[in-house]
Amino acid sequence: MEVMNNIFWILIFPGFLFTVAVGLVVSWVVRKVTALVQWRVGPPVLQPLYDILKLTGKEILIPQQANRTVFIFAPIVGMAGVLLLSTMLWHITIWQSQYVGDVIVAIYLMVLPSLALILGSSASASPHAALGTSREMKLVMSYELPLVLALIVVIIKSGGELSLAALASQAPIASISGFLAFFVSLLCIQAKLGFVPFDIAESETEIASGVLIEYSGVLLAIWKIMQAMMLVALPLFLVMVFLGGFGTTGASFAGGIGKYLLVVVLIILIKNTNPRVRIDQAMKFFWVFCGLALAIAVVLAMLGNTYDISWL
Amino acid sequence: MDIHELNAKLESLKDKLISIDKTTDKRIYLTCESANSFDLCRFLYEDTDCRFVIATVIDSDNYFEILYHFAYDQLGLVITVKSLIRDKDKPSTESIATFLPAAEWIEREMHDVAGIEFKNHPDMRRLILADDWPDGVYPLRKEFKK
Amino acid sequence: MSWKLKFLKKSVWVFHVNTGACNNCDIEVVDLLTPKFDVERFGIKLVGSPRHADALLVTGVVTKQALPRLIEVYRQTPKPCVVFAIGACACGTGIFQRGYHVAGPVDKVIKEEDPNAIIAYVPGCPPKPEAMISGVVKALSVL
Repeated sequence: MEVMNNIFWILIFPGFLFTVAVGLVVSWVVRKVTALVQWRVGPPVLQPLYDILKLTGKEILIPQQANRTVFIFAPIVGMAGVLLLSTMLWHITIWQSQYVGDVIVAIYLMVLPSLALILGSSASASPHAALGTSREMKLVMSYELPLVLALIVVIIKSGGELSLAALASQAPIASISGFLAFFVSLLCIQAKLGFVPFDIAESETEIASGVLIEYSGVLLAIWKIMQAMMLVALPLFLVMVFLGGFGTTGASFAGGIGKYLLVVVLIILIKNTNPRVRIDQAMKFFWVFCGLALAIAVVLAMLGNTYDISWL
Repeated sequence: MDIHELNAKLESLKDKLISIDKTTDKRIYLTCESANSFDLCRFLYEDTDCRFVIATVIDSDNYFEILYHFAYDQLGLVITVKSLIRDKDKPSTESIATFLPAAEWIEREMHDVAGIEFKNHPDMRRLILADDWPDGVYPLRKEFKK
Repeated sequence: MSWKLKFLKKSVWVFHVNTGACNNCDIEVVDLLTPKFDVERFGIKLVGSPRHADALLVTGVVTKQALPRLIEVYRQTPKPCVVFAIGACACGTGIFQRGYHVAGPVDKVIKEEDPNAIIAYVPGCPPKPEAMISGVVKALSVL
């Protein structure tokens, strides 16, 4: 019975089918809002679904010198990581289950898609992909630390709780350190999703699609599905950690959807109003600016915790 | 320099030229033999304030003509040196890329399409013909048939 | 095969190949992909790699130097795919008909490589972006 439950959770709700469906709808929302911002009409609702289905009908071409095993398994590993993350987050939201250290597991699972991208593109045996790999590696090294530090700010403010269900019951954004941490982690999520201004790895016009240049057919479809699923899991993580979680009853559920959409809209607006930055500018931004902001936030959070001032 | 000084300078070159033609207000053609074209181009580039624009080659009936176009921006003139190469079997002339690096590529192109040999060219390589085009076949010569 | 074409019609990702054009057609192709003509509503998107592409927008008469490159790009495009010959030069060599550098119009070159290739022609010098949209939509409706 336990096994049947687990299979249902992973594959149907809140796992694969549910996440993919919501992910495709949200990625349509991103494209539609982008189109409206540019004064044009934009694609129809089912367009992301048509893209995925069309890609499954194309042949798979693997370069001769590519490492076949890594090339084929990298997208699957990435998708598995995001799938697990999404299932876990929704499970915690709906059934309030918790276990010690699930925050750490969440951070670990969030690294998997970026790692899979690096592995897959370095197995591609192409100089463009190698350039994309090096840029993606530098980017990952730059934004992972600020993301973890932002989480530490939240943990300090909550008094040392290490489980997501407990963190989700508070809204640290209503304080200075929480707001700084939210702002920095929003930009880190933007980089992880691969959106402008940080879409350096897959920059289409600079290095001919960078990391994904040699992928085609079903493998490319898996990458696109993974990116759609990340659009579900990562803003949900931000909502749970900073904005006070996603309720399950009536008004708080609607409030949760509102908070999720707010994060998605912020991501879309940042995407549409900014140019792409160079990799050295991105590294300087994350290490220097975000590092300083988070150092201030950590100090303020500790002060607020020790002296019991809630708005610090 | 105004137009009179320019005219005086051109008069001083008379012994190297076959003719000076002022076809319109803004165009001057200096026709010469290929042996003198190097000195004329060097005079125009270094002693007057002319700017090199482009060079062209054409296979006329009795000779190859290479036209070097120089622009004199202060008066809005274009001065063209028309150099006649009488030897149609092995046409060759002195390369002006030795003092004018801007002419390097156009001389490579002229060599590719018409087979003119440029003596002392710093870097004579194929420029615009395809990699598998046979050597010694020059498409813009009159005897070339596809 | 038919379900693959069914979804291919709804989502066409294009890759632009210039095989020795005067760039006039290239300017019009790039113009087509700007937000003003909004081809995203047809599902058309510009991609940076031929391995992601469903349609190749080929401009220019195929010069001898560009011939092996065009064949390589065509082989790297996963089938099923459509080749659009954009402009008078690509459709039938245009004014360069007896040029010494011409290796044939696009359909002759592609058909030597793959006799079953699907090729659509959008003539014009250069074709207007509206003509290109009309050509793409008509080609997709008869697939």
